[in-house]
Amino acid sequence: MDTTTPHDTPQQQGSGNSGCLTMLALFVALVVGAIWLWPKKLPVHLPATKLSDEPLFNLFPNLPPDLGAVYLTNTLVATVLGYAVVLIVAFVVGRSIRRALATGDYVIGGFSGAVVMLLEGIYNMTEATAGKWARTIFPYFATIMMLVLVVNWMELLPGVETIGLLTPVTEEVHKAYEAEPWVGGIYKLTSDPIPVEHGEGGAEGGEAGAAAHTEGLYDFRPLVRVSSTDLNFTLALALVSVVMTQVIGFRAQGLHYLEKFFNFRALFAKPGMGILDFVVGLLELISEFSKILSFSFRLFGNIFAGSVLLFVMGALAPFILPAFYGLELFVGLIQAFVFGMLTMVFMAQATHSHADH
Amino acid sequence: MEIGAAKLIGAGLAMIGAIGAGLGIGVLAGGAVQGIARNPDAAGQIQTNMILGIAFAEAVAIYCLVVALLLIFAV
Amino acid sequence: MDALVKLGINVGFLLLQIFAFALLLAILGAWVYKPLLQMIEERRKKLAQAMEDARVAAEARANAEQEAQKILAEARAKADEIIREARERAEEQRRALLEQAQAEAEKLKREALAEVEEERNRVLAELREQIAALAVAAAQKIVGASLDEQRQHELLEEFFAGVKGKQVVVLDELEATTADQVEVISAVPLTDEEKALITEQLKAKVGDAPIVFKVDPSILGGLVIRVGDQIVDASVARQMALLRQKLA
Repeated sequence: MDTTTPHDTPQQQGSGNSGCLTMLALFVALVVGAIWLWPKKLPVHLPATKLSDEPLFNLFPNLPPDLGAVYLTNTLVATVLGYAVVLIVAFVVGRSIRRALATGDYVIGGFSGAVVMLLEGIYNMTEATAGKWARTIFPYFATIMMLVLVVNWMELLPGVETIGLLTPVTEEVHKAYEAEPWVGGIYKLTSDPIPVEHGEGGAEGGEAGAAAHTEGLYDFRPLVRVSSTDLNFTLALALVSVVMTQVIGFRAQGLHYLEKFFNFRALFAKPGMGILDFVVGLLELISEFSKILSFSFRLFGNIFAGSVLLFVMGALAPFILPAFYGLELFVGLIQAFVFGMLTMVFMAQATHSHADH
Repeated sequence: MEIGAAKLIGAGLAMIGAIGAGLGIGVLAGGAVQGIARNPDAAGQIQTNMILGIAFAEAVAIYCLVVALLLIFAV
Repeated sequence: MDALVKLGINVGFLLLQIFAFALLLAILGAWVYKPLLQMIEERRKKLAQAMEDARVAAEARANAEQEAQKILAEARAKADEIIREARERAEEQRRALLEQAQAEAEKLKREALAEVEEERNRVLAELREQIAALAVAAAQKIVGASLDEQRQHELLEEFFAGVKGKQVVVLDELEATTADQVEVISAVPLTDEEKALITEQLKAKVGDAPIVFKVDPSILGGLVIRVGDQIVDASVARQMALLRQKLA
């Protein structure tokens, strides 16, 4: 860190060299800092310990137990935060657009301008593909893209998946951490995950064994985990996308939309090859369901793998982590775009009659 | 052999299917880039179709991923 | 279903997410998409209007340019015509002036020449008397005898006008012909009687052609008559030249 000071003086020489020197100073500081920090490898928490939602605490402890507990999960926290960000952005952008409409000056600057430009690009793309149905399809494309983008990029915020609750180790826990008090009531993890061996014998023996091994060990539950790594989120978006595709298909073609799946007409029109067309229609039906699967697991898999990658690289080579941050920034954008784009394309295809192909 | 080890090996083997998807995506992207290079005006149309094709090719890899995840977490 | 639960899928959370997304769609639709689409629509309309305006303006400008071109061409043609006319008129005037001036100058010159001729003729006519007197006096000295008055006059007339006994001597040599003009050249101006005589006798030879009398003292005496391309030289100068040739 001290290496930056000697380079401060030459900065005053010429404006041409100062940029170069600043970059050099930053690079030296980065390398020196990385080497300085090298021996103190930070304890790493791998997020992929389980897929199931992690209940943080019971939201309504006073409800009668017959109704079952309603838990707040860490992905739900992330979802709420993501929705809040999207809503704030929407509010700001919407206000700018209304003002622009009122004044008649359609040039919007700043952040709102950037968002409006993005949305306009999306609309133009939708119009190029979907034609007159663009006004119907555009909101799905835009909303999915914005929400997924915000949620994906939340992965890159410091503190996400690294700040959480420590709870005593229970039966279901397979990995635990050592922790020590840090500031105030806050603890920090001081070890890599330690496998917890539960007793393999009877319940009595197991409990005794567990008690013996979990002294000073805690289960760690992140307070915020990216929503895209929760299948509920991705599956919900996939369901909305695919179901609304069918709805738009019916709206566009009426009951003729069903001919895409049950091609009886081809069966009667040309008895030989008609059977093949009919089977292809059935395959289309199956592919609609597989769309749900591929939509949800594509987003889930990419972001889940991304967060694992970030943690692994953070443990292996912290000083080249920025490169992977850049990669994840890109992957998050691409996945958001692909989710919205595919939704749009499928919806646009559903508006075309099958006979047009 | 322990069941846990077998699960993990099975998950790893399931992901071999991703090779096909990777090849498919490579061929698709290569073809799309050639197409765009030959006819830059059609770039938008080609890109749309490329992304669509990649999505279908990727779906195969995603089935592999689902199988692997099921093996690890759900079996 | 058990597998789904183990993958973390929970029907309650799933429904919650779907509901939340539907709500987000509705809110964004009201806040952003509706005004955005309106804005895009209006901007396109505005752009189309602007394009239309630009097209109309361009057309109008093209028309105006064409009109201006036409007007300019017309003006140029008119100007050319005016200039051409002016030049023609000036040329005509110049020519007229020049002709007038030439005519004037010609007239002046002719008058001056006529005057000079007249003057010379007058002088020569005056001299004729003196020459005659001198010749007679000289002859008297040489011959020593005085010729009678009659004889003197005849000799002198013959010498000066080639007239001998009311007969123009030279006309014997002249062949009968016709011509536009007949020139009669004498050394001294002829008297009116002589002129009348010559005219009368010439007419018998050459018809009605106008006769011009000229004076050229270099022929010394006698007459030279030119009818067309026929010249009858009966001048003293020639006779003397012939005599000199004979003597030589």
